Amino acid sequence: MLYDLIIIGGGPAGVAAGIYAARQNLNTLLIAKSFGGQMTRKSVDIENYPGFEKISGLDLMQKFEKHLRKNKIDIEIDSVSKVEKVSGGFYVSATSGKQFQSKAVIVTSGADPRPLEVPGEKEFIGKGVSYCTACDGPLFGDKEVAVVGGGNSGFEAAISLHSYAKKVYILEFSPQIKADEINQKLAQKYDIEVITNAAIKEIKGKDFVDSVIYQDRKSQKLITLNVQGVFVEIGSQPATSFAKDLVEFSEKDEIKIDPKNNMTKTPGLFAAGDVTDVRWKQIVIAAGEGCKAALSAYEYIINHG
Amino acid sequence: MAKIKIYSTPTCPYCVTLKEFLKERDIAFEDANVAQDAQAREEMIHKSGQMGVPVIDIDGEIIIGFDREKISKILKI
Repeated sequence: MLYDLIIIGGGPAGVAAGIYAARQNLNTLLIAKSFGGQMTRKSVDIENYPGFEKISGLDLMQKFEKHLRKNKIDIEIDSVSKVEKVSGGFYVSATSGKQFQSKAVIVTSGADPRPLEVPGEKEFIGKGVSYCTACDGPLFGDKEVAVVGGGNSGFEAAISLHSYAKKVYILEFSPQIKADEINQKLAQKYDIEVITNAAIKEIKGKDFVDSVIYQDRKSQKLITLNVQGVFVEIGSQPATSFAKDLVEFSEKDEIKIDPKNNMTKTPGLFAAGDVTDVRWKQIVIAAGEGCKAALSAYEYIINHG
Repeated sequence: MAKIKIYSTPTCPYCVTLKEFLKERDIAFEDANVAQDAQAREEMIHKSGQMGVPVIDIDGEIIIGFDREKISKILKI
């Protein structure tokens, strides 16, 4: 079957694009690994999305999904492995082996957590190393844990972990802390130990993590911290591998778009939200960008369909 | 009917997706909240050798994460 539009991703940008596309009567398919994107990994409540004074990422995601499903739209829970340009549109292949065809595509695949890339990290994923405090935090009751990354997301992770863990450390590479003052004050209140100038060298353990080794960048000394959990919060990287050949990238590996209509360098291929080089990464911005991309795709399909 | 037990936390998105996936297909399962239930947490770590959620136990077969294809294959859905 030939769709008018395929949307890749189920975060705020994808859901908003889906709602707008369906309401424009575009025959639309949305393919997503799951709904909510990074929003559901947030360790603290969302307090800046209009209409909701305070809501958890999971609750907001469920509202998004419910709203989307009210519309006439096909939904596949699957991951996309490749997008190809063919005459008259695009082929979209999924890891399940299914293949779909459409006149236009919107990429809203968001971003994945950025890994540390140190020895021990990969082998201990799920065995003490985590990229999702909201998911795995509750499993570290009465344990000692370290959060790597002293930005706001690192502090938010540490603050949420303090309610489970016996001891929480924050390890930051640079000499200064960049998190907001309100987060720093909370961390102080909860006896979270902040260590700056810390370059992570290795994560060690037997079956599960038992320590992290970092180098104090001032004294050059290697220091071992006995922790059973390491939560990595050093930012994110755009999830774009499936569209590599069709788009241009910014220096941060984000998909470059025309800010006016969200089009990439390939006509008919649009992108929206955190996967793009849009200046700010916010839920409300991602939703707005998804809407822009859907309206631009509609215009494109009408003119080229 | 297969005996299914899910180990999950209330805050993990893939746990929600997994449970929705089974509910949509009218498949019954037992749900253990490992954030609160320490005994279930130990059981999960022992069975799966790791601490990530969700873990699903289908008649003794252990699957880590929401692996849709594997689950569909075992349950023949």
